[in-house]
Amino acid sequence: MKRKEILGRLIGEVTNFLLEGNPLRMVVSLHQEDDGAHLSFFDDQKRSDAEIQKINKALHPKQSRPELAEYYGLMAGHDVTWDARLQLIGWQIKQATVSNSDSGLRIDLWLGSDAFNPEQFTINKD
Amino acid sequence: MERSERTLYVLLATLIVLLFLTGLIIEGPITVLTNVVLLQTKGARLISDFTLYGVGTAMVNAASVGALGLLLAYLTSVSLSGPTVAAIVTMLGFSFFGNTVLNCLPIIGGVWIASRLARKKFGSYSLIALFGTALGPLVTYIMFSINLPYFISIPLGILAGLVAGFLLPASAGAMLQLHQGYNLYNVGFSCGFLGLFASSLLIAAGKMEGLSVEWNEQFSLALFLIIPVFSLMLIASAMILEKPKTSIKGFLAIQKMPGRLPSDFFDTGYTGGTFLNIGLLGLLSWLYLVAVGAPINGPTVGAMFTVIAFGGFGKTLKNTFPVVLGVILSTLVFGKSLTDPGPLLATLFSTTLAPIAGQFGFVAGILAGFLHLVMVEVTGSWHGGLDLYNNGFAGGLTATLFVAILQWYKTNRPEEDFNS
Repeated sequence: MKRKEILGRLIGEVTNFLLEGNPLRMVVSLHQEDDGAHLSFFDDQKRSDAEIQKINKALHPKQSRPELAEYYGLMAGHDVTWDARLQLIGWQIKQATVSNSDSGLRIDLWLGSDAFNPEQFTINKD
Repeated sequence: MERSERTLYVLLATLIVLLFLTGLIIEGPITVLTNVVLLQTKGARLISDFTLYGVGTAMVNAASVGALGLLLAYLTSVSLSGPTVAAIVTMLGFSFFGNTVLNCLPIIGGVWIASRLARKKFGSYSLIALFGTALGPLVTYIMFSINLPYFISIPLGILAGLVAGFLLPASAGAMLQLHQGYNLYNVGFSCGFLGLFASSLLIAAGKMEGLSVEWNEQFSLALFLIIPVFSLMLIASAMILEKPKTSIKGFLAIQKMPGRLPSDFFDTGYTGGTFLNIGLLGLLSWLYLVAVGAPINGPTVGAMFTVIAFGGFGKTLKNTFPVVLGVILSTLVFGKSLTDPGPLLATLFSTTLAPIAGQFGFVAGILAGFLHLVMVEVTGSWHGGLDLYNNGFAGGLTATLFVAILQWYKTNRPEEDFNS
């Protein structure tokens, strides 16, 4: 149940963000393992380098903030009326990549327990 | 440890040491020690001005609670930044009128038990533990004010604190969803909610006494100078850490932020600007009190410290001004005095609603402040003064109403429907 809850929050917040761009197409893909999960989001809206950098910054906090993740992170994905706040999920994930795919924006998120093994997933090494 | 974090450690440690030494010098170590022990045995419900027991005593009490908060942050390896500073300085401020080391510890213990049960590190719940000390009076009121033998009332007070602390992570998370981060004192909102149940239980048991206001009106130079001195230290830090021009630029950039929870201004990279924002908030709060001729006592010093506390975590000059103006207007419209305890404290504490002005604009901020005063004047009696952050409780209710209305409006705009 806990896993379902956190996945729901993350999917909710990222889709809220993507829907702000009013895409005509959006895809969410999930790959789960015992100790972690990989979420991919695609839409049909290409973003500028500056926008990608901004998204990257929001998803990559300067340092681990467990006190914010466990408390304020609960707001992630809960409310889609207002602007999305990607930093709410930046504290809760292990890794994120943001890029323009052939069709539009692509956001990849990896999350998992302390036993999370990134080798089982396709995290970019660079 | 980053430079801004090191500076924060130095500033907070300096504040704590200054309060401790000033307190000792003013009243002498023996008197202070005796009075601080005596303070631990006070019920400490709203509004209990600890400076009535001695300004030095209140200062040493505040220093000890501040040191407890700082130690907790250090031991749990939580980074000292906007949210943590907000929690520690708020605790310290409320130790001028309610918090003591004794009434903080059981609450913190309860949150620790909840963290163990949820298999999380205590650091994850550290903010809830620190802010949760708002329910401190629940502990000491049961321990010393309900006329039971101490061998029953003291364990009962500890148990009540542990249970309240244990329930806080669950209720704080739920309360956050109600106002979506537009009430900065969210744990105060949660504590008020829990306080309603605690107060009702005490009323049912015939153990709840009416509220009274203990309010010191005597002038004390030490109290008068605390806030401007600390504010100037913060402004000086802003000018030392970065070039003045950079700090001012950062300060102006921060003013554009709505301040909705969780907005850690230290994370924005505008370190000097954040220190400048905090310092100016403190200084202007103090100037307002001086201008209206309000007493600088325990509760007002506590309120100013709380404004300072959130200067790195949601409050800016721009988003606090409309809310404060709203409270002032409400005070005048309803024929109250700006220097009465309720309106005066509400003016400073109403800044909990600053994100409403930051997000929805000047008029929304004024309306929120106007409504806040009306609410806060009655909510204290609902929880029997057991929640020190009464303005956080009232602010949570106001923010929830605003968010509900604005959400309804935003989700029912026909121009954004699918074409039929």
